[in-house]
Amino acid sequence: MSLAEINKNEVDIVIGALNADLTQFLTSWGPFFSGFHLIVVKDPELKEELNIPEGFDVDVYSKTDMEKVVGASNSTMFSGYSCRYFGYLVSKKKYIVSIDDDCVPAKDPKGFLVDAVTQHVINLENPATPLFFNTLYDPYCEGADFVRGYPFSLRSGVPCAASCGLWLNLADLDAPTQALKTEKRNTAYVDAVMTVPAKAMLPISGINIAFNRELVGPALVPALRLAGEGKVRWETLEDVWCGMCLKHISDHLGYGVKTGLPYVWRNERGDAVESLRKKWEGMKLMEKSVPFFDSLKLPETALKVEDCVIELAKAVKEQLGSDDPAFTQAADAMVKWVQLWNSVNSSA
Amino acid sequence: MAGYNLEGIEAAPLKDDVDIVIPTIRSLDFLEQWRPFLQHYHLIIVQDGDPSIKIKVPEGYDYELYNRNDINRILGPRANCISYKDGGCRCFGFMVSKKKYIYTIDDDCFVAKDPSGKEINVIAQHIKNLETPSTPHYFNTLYDPFREGTDFVRGYPFSLREGVQTAISHGLWLNIPDYDAPTQLVKPRERNTRYVDAVMTIPKGVLYPMCGMNLAFNRELVGPAMYFGLMGEGQPISRYDDMWAGWAAKVVCDQLGFGVKTGMPYLWHSKASNPFVNLKKEHKGLHWQEDMVPFFQNLRLSKESDTAAKCYMEISKMTKEKLTKVDPYFEKLADAMVTWIEAWEELNPPVKNEASEELNPPVKKTQSDGEDVKAKG
Repeated sequence: MSLAEINKNEVDIVIGALNADLTQFLTSWGPFFSGFHLIVVKDPELKEELNIPEGFDVDVYSKTDMEKVVGASNSTMFSGYSCRYFGYLVSKKKYIVSIDDDCVPAKDPKGFLVDAVTQHVINLENPATPLFFNTLYDPYCEGADFVRGYPFSLRSGVPCAASCGLWLNLADLDAPTQALKTEKRNTAYVDAVMTVPAKAMLPISGINIAFNRELVGPALVPALRLAGEGKVRWETLEDVWCGMCLKHISDHLGYGVKTGLPYVWRNERGDAVESLRKKWEGMKLMEKSVPFFDSLKLPETALKVEDCVIELAKAVKEQLGSDDPAFTQAADAMVKWVQLWNSVNSSA
Repeated sequence: MAGYNLEGIEAAPLKDDVDIVIPTIRSLDFLEQWRPFLQHYHLIIVQDGDPSIKIKVPEGYDYELYNRNDINRILGPRANCISYKDGGCRCFGFMVSKKKYIYTIDDDCFVAKDPSGKEINVIAQHIKNLETPSTPHYFNTLYDPFREGTDFVRGYPFSLREGVQTAISHGLWLNIPDYDAPTQLVKPRERNTRYVDAVMTIPKGVLYPMCGMNLAFNRELVGPAMYFGLMGEGQPISRYDDMWAGWAAKVVCDQLGFGVKTGMPYLWHSKASNPFVNLKKEHKGLHWQEDMVPFFQNLRLSKESDTAAKCYMEISKMTKEKLTKVDPYFEKLADAMVTWIEAWEELNPPVKNEASEELNPPVKKTQSDGEDVKAKG
């Protein structure tokens, strides 16, 4: 599949603005964002005016816009890194591509800038293969195929729900890991896209992600907020929780999740040691979440994404609610999210 | 391969811990090119086909060679579990080895170069893979977290960061890819030119097609599960030897809490076998794999199966029970699996002292373990 075959009208690029000045970001992505519609959602806690260069087809949403759509009490759901979810909510497109505003295009080993948007859409448009691992990774890409021993009945694959990209330079490591090795940078360009097998759990990062909104939109839940949630990724887990829900629901509904290419270049920002000083409750929440998701079985009757989210929220409340109030809040937020999704999208 | 400090292994290549098992029917000339990397190691050559042919081993290699007569002599009536006129005969080499690690390679495989032009030391990479932990309980999006320069990503549970012991290291191939006959026929000119600079753990409960061309494993942990089946002459199927071993061994690894890695190292696969011959050999397998794969995916082993041999005996029983209806071949195969274990245990008697704890470690359960191997797919 080539650039010419991407239907740009099917894609919204959603950017959560945690920084007011998006000039460098948008200028560097210019060649790859050209021709696409952009949705920029301003963190409602950001005081300054956004600075957006000319030449983009962009809709900007701020706190006032949020409150008009979801009401003042619900706009808190979209603060900080979660502001982008508002963009997912109001988008009308089939595919969403979302990149953190401190990332710029990466270079591949040949020195060419990576068109992350196109790669994400290609990933989403081609089937995923979660039911059996292909040792040559993506069987649908040029120059590769299914290997000997791969059952033919599984070679048509399943719809791809999400495409999780990676990061060069500052990888998405947690604060303790990055603080231990402050100089560590990711320089390995792994030239592969692969499907994460069904039932396998993984940490999905929101830094460089794309998904099929029509297929799984409501499953991208802005739900888990850390008490001391901050404005650097080291101080959040909202995307990791969202990813656990998304993967579980995708597995249940028979969709696939891919990981690998494309890479973005993540700029230096924040201080891992500083983030480490904050009480690191995220670790505890993760430890509790893992066995929960590992043993969770959604009911067979949950056939729609919205129903899956509601069932998941119920289970979270029942099984994790007593462990930490953050889980109860997450469950409530998930239910609220589905309500908002249905009301915003039914009037479309 | 940046981030894998192989100099340590290259300096002290663990010669006493590794046997290299090579099945051959034609020639071992390929070993000339491998000298810089493989010459330190002891070879076990399993000569397939006509035992009267003299196979010449390049000078300087330390080896033992077994032909069909030797196999018959050593195993007696049990020799019928070892394939004839098929690369599956290599598992005889696994059985007679006394080493901790096995590396097996095909005789049409050569040294590949990484993108920087450096020749790839496959054995050093495989040893590194086997000696560092695997992470089957949670997928790391930066692949091997134990590689220098990478790590576990944000959100990866800390309780799972120790990993588990690695039992199998599955390497890949540049140039001629390991395709089945139909794919070869449709894409005769396709070559694998994509060098994927990663090693990763295959998640628990997930199956994969294991290729025997470039494969290493910890014989002490999973040796009994690496039976390459009944293939070749006198059998209705070929080219499923490594597949069968791979699916069984993965189930065993999942049961016992060991990890399986795939990815680097790469080697250069030079010879494309004849696709028409391949089609004849494997065509039954193309149908049967539709039953074999769900069979392995749905296998639940009992808690009492806490060693590779016990797991494998249980798998042989289930093979007979569940796959015979697909074809009577599977009943024969199930019997051969039992014969294999009997032969293995005769040649490798369990050591009756505390050292046996090391060889047969108890099943390790981690917090995210459910019951036994769950049904997948």
